[in-house]
Amino acid sequence: MDMQESMMGRGRDAIEMIVDAGSFAEGVVGAKSFDDPEFGPGAVVGTATLQGTVCTIIASDGGAMNEKFPVVYAGIIGLEEGYKMAEAVYASILEDAEKPLAEKRPLVLIVDTPGNGPGKVEEIFGMNKSTAAYQLALAEARLKGHPIIAMVIGRAISGAFLCHGLQADAILSLDAQFGTMIHVMPLTSVSRIIRKDLETLEVLSKQSAVFAAGPRFFHSLGGVEALVETLDGMRPAIVARIAEVRAAKLEGRQDDLGPWGRGKLGEARGGRIERPRVIEMMSRDFAAVADRYAPSR
Amino acid sequence: MTHWTDLQPRSFLEASARDRAIGLVDEGSFTELAGPFDRVTSPHLALLGDAVAFDDGIVTGVGKIGRTPVFVISQEGRFIGGSVGEIGGAKMVTAIKLAIDFHDDLVAQFDDLDEEEKPLVVISFETGGVRLHEANAGLLAHAEVMDQLQKARGKVPVIALIGSKVGAFGGMGFVAAATDVIIMSEFGRLGLTGPEVIEQEMGKEEFDASDRALVYRTTGGRHKFIMGDANFLVENTVAAFRDQVSALAGLSIEAFEEMRRIGSSAKVKAQLRAVALAAEMQPGDATDVWTRAGNTDAHALIDLPLPEFLATVRRLAV
Repeated sequence: MDMQESMMGRGRDAIEMIVDAGSFAEGVVGAKSFDDPEFGPGAVVGTATLQGTVCTIIASDGGAMNEKFPVVYAGIIGLEEGYKMAEAVYASILEDAEKPLAEKRPLVLIVDTPGNGPGKVEEIFGMNKSTAAYQLALAEARLKGHPIIAMVIGRAISGAFLCHGLQADAILSLDAQFGTMIHVMPLTSVSRIIRKDLETLEVLSKQSAVFAAGPRFFHSLGGVEALVETLDGMRPAIVARIAEVRAAKLEGRQDDLGPWGRGKLGEARGGRIERPRVIEMMSRDFAAVADRYAPSR
Repeated sequence: MTHWTDLQPRSFLEASARDRAIGLVDEGSFTELAGPFDRVTSPHLALLGDAVAFDDGIVTGVGKIGRTPVFVISQEGRFIGGSVGEIGGAKMVTAIKLAIDFHDDLVAQFDDLDEEEKPLVVISFETGGVRLHEANAGLLAHAEVMDQLQKARGKVPVIALIGSKVGAFGGMGFVAAATDVIIMSEFGRLGLTGPEVIEQEMGKEEFDASDRALVYRTTGGRHKFIMGDANFLVENTVAAFRDQVSALAGLSIEAFEEMRRIGSSAKVKAQLRAVALAAEMQPGDATDVWTRAGNTDAHALIDLPLPEFLATVRRLAV
C-alpha cells in the first residue's frame, strides 16, 4: 500500500475539491445565516452546488479553536458546534419543505473529527444533547427525503462519527492509504482497557472486523458503503451516490439506506451476522404473543 | 424468582435489569423477547475467551401498564458495565421497531383506538455505551437505535429511565438525550464523557474523578432535573419509576413532543440560549448554575431529602 498525502485537518480543502469551483457560500443555508464568526467555529456549514445541484455542506475545521469553549480544537465537535450543525440541517429541511421528493437538497457531510467536547462545562450543560440534536436532525432530514452522503476524509472517531456521519444515507471513505482513521478506540487502548494483549487482538482482528480499526474493516461490516481510492475520485463518487440514494428514495426503498440499510449490508458482507438472527427471533417471539397486547374488542 | 409485589419497594439502583423490567409493568404481564432461554450470546466475547451472558446483558420484552402495551429495554450494568455490542444493540433496535410496527398495525386495525391503547417504549439505561470487545458493531448499533428513535417520533413515545449505578454515558448518553421523556432518580447519572476521561483531559485540579460528590453534582439526577435535562425526578424504588411511567401512559403524542429537550429547530434555539449562558458564566461548579437558576442556598440542595428538594428547587429557565 503506497501511502498518500493525508487529508486530516483539511476539511475546508476537501470542500473545494468536491463542490463546483467557487460555489461554496459559507454560513448560509436556505433562509438561515450564521453571522457570528465566533459561534461554533469548529463547524463549517454552508451551501454549494455540486454539478449544478444545490447542496448543504457540513464539515469540521481542524484549524479552528473555540475561544469560549477551549476543549474545541482540531475538529472536535463542542456544544456550539453540534447545535450549529443541527441548525444547518433544520434550515435545509425548512427551505425545501414544500418541494417534491426529487428536489430535496442533498446534504454532504465531510467527516474529519476526533471527538466530542470533553469537559466539565460541557457535562454541566449536557454535551450529549448537542450531538444528539444533530443526529436527530440528520435522521429527520433523511426520512423526509434529503439524500445525505458522508465522505470520510480523515478521522471518524467513536461518538464523533456517530454524530457526524453515521446518520447519513450512505458513507464513503478515503481508503487506508490516506491514513483514514475509523474506530471507537485504537487497538492499543482497547487492549489496555479490556486487558487482552495487543498481539492477541491483532491476530483476532484478521478473523473478525468488529474490534479492528480502519476503513476496510468498517467496509466489511457494512459500516461504510464504499471506499474511494483517489482524491479526485471523491467528487464523482459523491455525485453518483447522491443519484443512487435519490433513486432509492423515489422508489420508497428508504430501508436500503441509512443505519438500517447498513445493517443489511453488514449481513450481506458477512460482517454482522448475529444482528439478523436477533431481529428474526424477537419478531417471531412477539408475533406469538402480540394478541395479548392488543385491545380485546 | 422474586414475587412482583416484593419488587415494587426495591431499590431501583440495586435491582437487576430483569427485575426492573418485570417490576415496571403490570403483574404477570411481562413477556421477554429473545430471553436467556434463547441463549443469544456474543460470539465476539467467545472469540476473546471471555464469559458470555445468555441475554447479552440486555433484557427486552413487552408488558402492559393498564391498557397500554409497554415495550421494555433494560440494560444490566453487572455484565461488562451494560456495554452495547452487536446482539444487545440489535435487541434494542428491534424492540423499538416492533413497537412502531405494532402501533401501525393497531392503528390500521382499530379505527377507535385511543391513546392509552397505543404502545410506548421504556428504556432503563445502565451503560457507558459501546462494548469495546466488539466496538465497531456496537457503534453501528448505536446509530441504528438513533434512527429508530426518529422513526418512532409522532407515533410511539420513548421514555428513558436513569437510576442505575453506571448511569447513561458515551453513545448511550446521546440515545437517552434523544428520547421524549427522561425520568431519573437522584442516583442516576447522565452525560457523555465519564469522570475519568474529563480528569484525564482537564487535570485533577479541574475535575477530580474520585470526588463522588463532584461527580453527582455534575451529572446526577438533581443537577439534570435543575437543568431541565431530566423531566422528572423520582424516589429510588421500582414502584416510583413505574408510577411515573404509568402517569405518562395515555398522554397524546403531542404532549410527549413538548417534553422533549431537543428534536426541533425551536428546541435547538432554546438549548443555544443555555449554551450562551454557559459561555457567559463559565461555571466552575454545577452549583453556580443552580444559584443562577434562583436557588439562593444552592449547597443546601445537595443533601435535602427528596420531597423537600422537589418542593423548593428552582429549575433553570433560559
